[in-house]
Amino acid sequence: MQVVVLLAGVVDPKWRLDRLGLRPGTELADESGLPRRLSPFDEAALETALKLRDADPAVRVTAVLPGDVGSDALLRGVAAFRPDRAFRFDTSGLAPWDPRAAVRLLGLAVGAACGCPDLVLMGREFGDCDDGVLPAALAEAQGWRFCGLAHAVAIADGRFVAHRIRGPREELLRLPPPALVSITNDRGNRLRHPLMKNVMLAKRGPVEVVTPQAGAIPRAVVARSLAVVPPPQRGAGACRILSGPVDAQVAELAAYLRARRQAAAP
Amino acid sequence: MMRRIVAVVLLGEPALTDPFGAVAAAAELAGSGRAEAILLARPEDAEAAAAQAAREGAAEITLVTDSGLSDPPQPEHWLELLAGLLAEDARGMLLLLPGGAVGEELAARLTMRLDAVPLGRCGRIVEDGARLIAHRAAYGGRAELVLETGAPRCIATMRRPAAPPKPAADPVIRRADLAIPFAADAPRPEVLPAAADRPKRVDAARIVVSGGRGMGGPEGFALLRELADMLGAATGASLPAVDAGWASVSQQVGQSGAFVAPDLYLAVGMSGTPQHLAGIAPHSRIAAINSDPEADIFRVAEVGLLAPWQEVLPRLIATLRDG
Ligand SMILES: Cc1cc2nc3c(=O)[nH]c(=O)nc-3n(C[C@H](O)[C@H](O)[C@H](O)COP(=O)(O)OP(=O)(O)OC[C@H]3O[C@@H](n4cnc5c(N)ncnc54)[C@H](O)[C@@H]3O)c2cc1C
Repeated sequence: MQVVVLLAGVVDPKWRLDRLGLRPGTELADESGLPRRLSPFDEAALETALKLRDADPAVRVTAVLPGDVGSDALLRGVAAFRPDRAFRFDTSGLAPWDPRAAVRLLGLAVGAACGCPDLVLMGREFGDCDDGVLPAALAEAQGWRFCGLAHAVAIADGRFVAHRIRGPREELLRLPPPALVSITNDRGNRLRHPLMKNVMLAKRGPVEVVTPQAGAIPRAVVARSLAVVPPPQRGAGACRILSGPVDAQVAELAAYLRARRQAAAP
Repeated sequence: MMRRIVAVVLLGEPALTDPFGAVAAAAELAGSGRAEAILLARPEDAEAAAAQAAREGAAEITLVTDSGLSDPPQPEHWLELLAGLLAEDARGMLLLLPGGAVGEELAARLTMRLDAVPLGRCGRIVEDGARLIAHRAAYGGRAELVLETGAPRCIATMRRPAAPPKPAADPVIRRADLAIPFAADAPRPEVLPAAADRPKRVDAARIVVSGGRGMGGPEGFALLRELADMLGAATGASLPAVDAGWASVSQQVGQSGAFVAPDLYLAVGMSGTPQHLAGIAPHSRIAAINSDPEADIFRVAEVGLLAPWQEVLPRLIATLRDG
């Protein structure tokens, strides 16, 4: 059983983004000096893959990280979890803005991992510039079955059983291979800690890089600009911080909540 | 020739809280008299929906009914219907689907079926002649990306704009009765029985009481639930609180979770990151309880109580119970 996990990485969300933009004269984002890490959804997808292998040793996990040389440290971090294979799919110089072009590249990346995957796992959003288009579009482009936003996946009777919550319902989908499942974070898929020994091995080992044989991929979308924006303004402006003894503050907050409850009543 | 601006309404889709939001967005984007709406519905729901679409500003309404749509409809069936309806239509268009998991998945998959360009979750789209300029959040809401495309067919998701829609006075209504077969081998979700303690739905609530990493454990969340019950509120959570298992996946609020639009959002033990705030409608009032005076949540809240929740929640619950 071939499981491919596609990982994107994000700029560390705790890091202040003071300057971010397109490199002059190009469409490439200038992320220099900004540390990258796996997103919570990359982590959840990786853990899901590892759990499938824990449950069934016939599962072979290949982790693929598209990116340039700046992603190698991240790949070493992934290798420390001992997937059966981990490689960087070199996307140096390619701008990620056109989702159709990105889907082509991701298809090639999966192809480089194995000819016909049984299951492809991705985070619910793929990196900093995707809001969930890529997993669904990739599945559709490849003709794979799709389940979006699953929080758990198991294998039963040769099918992938994906759990998800959609609106008011908790659903279970049974997908025959080949399938693509996008993963959302949950307590059950928090990424385990790697063994220190494996971290050290991964630090010293070589990084496998696969260069796509893509030819020119047509693009219909270009980036005009990328810029840091302040958080949108909300409310009337300044926050009224309650003061006085805690009991008085609590009484004031209670009165505020009562008023809001009344206003919200149908 | 200008492209058509067409919003899709998925009637009877239980995961949607604002099925007509994209119609209002299309009407604002297209200007008066130009926005179109495609309504997918079972026959019994269709007429009322057409009137609603007109109130939201749709000047041309196509009512697509399919008696084969199950209750609730299957997303795969929505996809087949839309693809069947639009595949032969070669005119340039911008198709808008409603925000949220179902609209976003459909939008992405439909682009591949229709050879269209996906623009994702857009905050604003502007027409520049035959080209579209799309504004989207990126890097967890910390940056804005502006994309440009001349592709004749584009698909995006949009939420309801802040300004109320201008109703269309005299909409043209067309009807299409389709019977698109739903592939027998398409996966149909099995709906699991609802657990007795299933949390109240967060995206439809008028008041949300929400907890973050600062709650430190399940005990704090038990108090939040008690408080929420007293206020008739739903309980929400930040991503780290869901990761910790203090709240369920369905309660996660943010760019990667539920989008909530309550009158009041009470944020307890959460710092107010852009990723979290992206899931709270701009018009919602925020009140915050946090022990750190520097927490960003106080920059967006209208009322703040600066103290550890342990000192506040038990007293707050007792005070509300007394009166
Ligand atoms: C791609 C991506 C998508 C993401 N999507 C989302 C999303 O959809 N939703 C989301 O929430 N996050 C999301 N995140 C995570 C986000 O970056 C933050 O990690 C998260 O929002 C922080 O949650 P928090 O405010 O609960 O925790 P923290 O930022 O750690 O804040 C905890 C707060 O609790 C306060 N506190 C501590 N102790 C107490 C006490 N005793 N009493 C009162 N206050 C106390 C602290 O002062 C602090 O302000 C995403 C991240 C990435 C990379």
